[in-house]
Parts: sequence; structure tokens; C-alpha cells
Amino acid sequence: MLRRRELLAYLVGAGIAGTILVGPYVLRVVGVGIFMPGARVPVVPIVLLPILWGAWNLLWARRHPPMSIGSWGAVLGLGAATGINAYLWAAGLWFRAAAALFVFMPTIYWLFWRLVVGPLNDAVGVEGERA
Amino acid sequence: MRTLGLIRRGTPAASHDLWTQLEARMHAADDVVRVALPALGWREAAALAVAIGTVAVVPDPLRFLVASGLC
Repeated sequence: MLRRRELLAYLVGAGIAGTILVGPYVLRVVGVGIFMPGARVPVVPIVLLPILWGAWNLLWARRHPPMSIGSWGAVLGLGAATGINAYLWAAGLWFRAAAALFVFMPTIYWLFWRLVVGPLNDAVGVEGERA
Repeated sequence: MRTLGLIRRGTPAASHDLWTQLEARMHAADDVVRVALPALGWREAAALAVAIGTVAVVPDPLRFLVASGLC
């Protein structure tokens, strides 16, 4: 059974990630077109981001793990870094700097989840009545 | 007797019309969403520094950002 606040949690996560996707779709066209014309750019399946973020936030609302929401987001970032590295490796596009994603992604995700997802969860009542 | 009189005058009669109170609260809660951002401190500054530092240190920052899905 899906509770109302769990559905809200999914929508908050998916909505934020969907909004963030504007960055890749716009900046990539501009940045790669100007600075790396013709380069073979690793394209990771970031369209899955809203589903991942939504599901992860739903899990947060349902399980309420004993950690801060920032740390919960950082765990997702670590998983995403692992997934991206595995994907790049499998696609033959892996490069050495991709290993730094294991530091970069959890850090960025920690910031996003602490400063954006957490406050929005609070505002719409996801953090309200816990089971 | 004097104290009792003061207490009776100081406390207004409680409203028992709960429906009116609930309705007013629902309307008030429905219109405004208050987003309370956490205070920015040294942890946020450190995280931002690590993120920017990582992008600055890697040999191919644009490719790195593209791989991260943020650009």
C-alpha cells in the first residue's frame, strides 16, 4: 500500500531531478559544441535520474533510515558513481578521471539532498507523520 | 475571591466550534508552502569546496561533468 506522503516523496524527488536535467540538456549542447566539437562524449543514461531520485525519496519516507537526508542522498550519489563507472567501462568509454566521481557525486548529492530535497520534503509534509 | 475573579476575567471562553477552527487551519495551510532552508555552515562550504576542487583537479573537467550527468 502506497501512502500519500510516500507518493509525495516520489514526486518531490522526481520533480527536482527532472528540473536538474535542464542542466545536462542545455549545457551539454552549448559546452560540448563550443569546447569539444566533434569529441566522443560519454553519454550516461541520465534520463533515469527522476525515477531514481523519486524512488530513493520514497524509500526515505517509507523506511526513514537512521541518518540525515543529506547522507541518504550521498549514498545514492555513491551508487550513481558506481553505476556510471560500470556503464562507461562496459561501453568502452571509461577514462581515469571518472574514478573521481566516487568523491564528486556523493558530495554533490549530499548538497542537493540537504539543501533542496530535505526542505521540500518538510514543506509538503513528507516528513510529517512517520509510520 | 479576588483571585478567582481575576482568573475568570483573564481567560477568554474557549471556542468549541472545532469545524470552524479546522476549516480555517486547512485554508491557511493550503495557500502557503513554507520552505525553510537549513542554515549554511562549514559542512556545506566544505562540500562545495570539495566539489569545485574535484572539477578543478581532474584533467578533463568538461568530459568529467558530462560523465557525471550534471552537464
